[in-house]
Amino acid sequence: MTGRAAILLGAGALTLPLWPAPWLGVLVMSGVVLALTVLDWLLAAPPGEVGASRDGDRAVRLGDTATVSVHLHNTSVRPLRALVRDAWVPSAGARFDFPGAPTVRVEPGDRVELPSRLTPTRRGDRPAVRLTLRSYGPLGLAFRQRAERPSTPPWTLRVLPRFESRRHLPEKLARLRIIDGTEVARGRGQGTEFDTLREYVVGDDVRSVDWRASARRADVLVRTWRPERDRRVVCVLDTGRTSAVRVGDEPRLDAAIDAALLLAALASRAGDRVDLLAVDNAVRVALTGGAQSTLLARLVDTLAPLQPALVETDFELIAGEILRRERRRSVVVLFTALEPGALGEGLLPVLPRLATRHRVIVASVHDPVLTDLTTRPPETVQDAYAVSAAWRALGDRDRVRAALARHGVTVVDAPADRLAPMVTDTYLRLKALGQL
Amino acid sequence: MSAVPDAPVPDVSAPDDDRRSGADASTSVRSAAPVVAGRRRRRWHRIAIPLGAVAVLLAVTGITQAIDQPSPGSAGFLSPVNADDEGGSRLADRLRAEGVAVERFTSTRQALIQATSRGFTLFVPSPGLVHPLYLPYLAEPADRARVVLVDPPQRVLDGAELPLAATGRRWAAGAVDADADGRPCPLPEAARAGPAAALLQRYANPPGLDNRTDYCYSGGLVRTERRDSEVVVIGASDPFRNDRIAERGNAVLATGLLGSHDRVVWLDLAGPEPPPPYHRNGELDPWTSMPDDSGTYDDGESQEGNGTPEYDGRQQPAPGQDEQAAPPEPRNPLWDAFPPWFWALLAQLALALLLVVLWRARRLGPPVAEPLPVTVPSAETVLGRGRLYQRARAYGPAAETLRAAALHRLTQSRGVPPDAGPDELAAAVAARTGRGAAEVHDLLYGPAPETNQELLDLARALDDLAAASGTSLGTSPPDQPRHDRPSEGDAR
Repeated sequence: MTGRAAILLGAGALTLPLWPAPWLGVLVMSGVVLALTVLDWLLAAPPGEVGASRDGDRAVRLGDTATVSVHLHNTSVRPLRALVRDAWVPSAGARFDFPGAPTVRVEPGDRVELPSRLTPTRRGDRPAVRLTLRSYGPLGLAFRQRAERPSTPPWTLRVLPRFESRRHLPEKLARLRIIDGTEVARGRGQGTEFDTLREYVVGDDVRSVDWRASARRADVLVRTWRPERDRRVVCVLDTGRTSAVRVGDEPRLDAAIDAALLLAALASRAGDRVDLLAVDNAVRVALTGGAQSTLLARLVDTLAPLQPALVETDFELIAGEILRRERRRSVVVLFTALEPGALGEGLLPVLPRLATRHRVIVASVHDPVLTDLTTRPPETVQDAYAVSAAWRALGDRDRVRAALARHGVTVVDAPADRLAPMVTDTYLRLKALGQL
Repeated sequence: MSAVPDAPVPDVSAPDDDRRSGADASTSVRSAAPVVAGRRRRRWHRIAIPLGAVAVLLAVTGITQAIDQPSPGSAGFLSPVNADDEGGSRLADRLRAEGVAVERFTSTRQALIQATSRGFTLFVPSPGLVHPLYLPYLAEPADRARVVLVDPPQRVLDGAELPLAATGRRWAAGAVDADADGRPCPLPEAARAGPAAALLQRYANPPGLDNRTDYCYSGGLVRTERRDSEVVVIGASDPFRNDRIAERGNAVLATGLLGSHDRVVWLDLAGPEPPPPYHRNGELDPWTSMPDDSGTYDDGESQEGNGTPEYDGRQQPAPGQDEQAAPPEPRNPLWDAFPPWFWALLAQLALALLLVVLWRARRLGPPVAEPLPVTVPSAETVLGRGRLYQRARAYGPAAETLRAAALHRLTQSRGVPPDAGPDELAAAVAARTGRGAAEVHDLLYGPAPETNQELLDLARALDDLAAASGTSLGTSPPDQPRHDRPSEGDAR
């Protein structure tokens, strides 16, 4: 029944003083309303005879809006007047976008498309949970509704990371071209890999003159070098407990994903092969670089559902995986947090094995709260203690950095919004120096 | 369903779910159906378990009570020769001990025929078993007799033409005082007995009929008069039964009720009686003698139809007895205070409200839970350590850390050699900031603070000192490399 039946009965009750026999009136009116309700219920289109399907976007970048439509097909012989609820998880930000929403009318045999606009507020897979149909009778006195009639068409919208740092990509690519030497001649010769011999022109570095080759020819020849190509870059994302820490409004992991994407985009353009690992106490994601054109899309798609876990990261596992997968010397960029406990006990014991085989960069998002504490003069007693603790934490972090540096590890410690450009800068610098 | 207490659970499990669906989408799809089914089963349990528990409780109580309650239809119930719990042998013994003769009959007809003499008590423990045709004669077997009926059903009261109606019935017999409801009990036996377990079935005059009826035990025992004999109706069998006769005033009440005459005719029926055998003048006559009967009993006065005029005559209430014999449950005056349509209106509005409830109770699909992410506030360990320092009143270590940090900033930024002695360093800093060397030395190497306020002052002073020497992080960031600028890998 609906509110309309209740209103009908309530309004009828007000006429009772006029009835000669009030109790009979109650009986008659209740009977009439009940009969009408039953009739209405019988005349409502059965929701089991409505077919539902879905189509629309499969993926959307965080912050953008996607459209997913539900198609209802009324296969019954009665017109369908229904209230529709298409329930997504709340963070999918779904709302109907059709006139008259959320009520709909479908003639027998007709189909109708009910588009929903989704503006997700979180990264990851946002599933549609339940489609509910409440089919009203022609009088609006009764409705039919059954769970899973029609059955909910499954749909999952993959919300991709925002990848805000892609605005840095053109600038980094320009620097890469300089290093590559395709744009400015001055940049040529910075690599370590022998490219070609050519005749000396005024302005060439005399140190690059190849005297032996010049002796064989009448001209003075210089060697040209190019940066190494086809190197390997391994991005390792630590998804353990330290990655769950909120820096600003998002977890550390999101900043790490952003930086890893920028680095992967740049490295794949530079002709390097990019592999990716996401590990906490198990390997969550393992991606080996394939075709350059699809790499970024695959990376984004793979990293979208990645979430931090409240477990201790197993650095032993990370080292083992890297050593097993990468036979050649590679650049290993480890996105983690500079935390003395986690790194001191987890990473430092396995670091020598890793550092002798590979070039290791540790990238970490540093906490703006610590900077804030140590720069602001303390106002309360509590502040004084907090400042003391913050200085101590910074001191611990410096010790970790020193310990890492002893193993030849490059440490990049930056605020969330500057991590991605800084990591790529480090990569470019290493590439320019031929230290990959 | 309250989401708040459940919050930590999705907190932890959410990333697991997400991750699983990311790593192996097919797994999560496969596992979804049983989860939903299990949830539905649990939701069904939520309704079924409490209701089922209540139903089981009710059933067990009902069955136990039914077993425990003696049944008047069973053989041997309140029989003078039955020594079981349900029997009445102890009552018979007590009566004999008081000099009352107990005569046991197993047929109503015989009992009525034998009991012709004046002054006896007819005890009917199970009036429901008496054949309906005998009932009119049961209430007045002879002059000056007393008839005691135990728990007669309404059918018996109507058949015996007693102006009584069975009203409320209790769950079990209760021991109350004879005048428990405030009405004085004129029966001397009841008054003598005091509290007795006589209140099980209540009796009252039907509305409109007002008779000379005495009420005892809140209506559990009533006495009314038929011509010269009196009829005592008691709703509970407990005062007479072997198992409970010894309790309270039960024995005194039972022997008092039955011992008012020197003879008790005890009608001990083993089961429903057969109908009287013979017709006379085309209708059944219970008094026709059976072939094996030794004597006959024919009393014209007790023919059918006699009772009614007498009964009507009794309807004249004696003045002054009105209040005493008033109906025990008068009609609530509230019913008459409003017109009937008002009550009908209320009823219909209640029905409408019920419809609203039914309408609103059906939700449009279940609520959808958000798989909550893991949230760890930033710097929570640092702030927590700060609070620990404060709780432990760790003035010394806190001040030490602050001084070490300030020293580090001063030495790193201004070219003071790191291995400089305290005096040298203090002098260098003092020269730069224009403060006294002793003051700076005290600030950097002085004694540990003793109170919170001293620590706060020290922290502020150190910050001022760093700022004055141009090393405050806020103004110029000499320390920034430590935080922001990537350190190169040339340490190798």
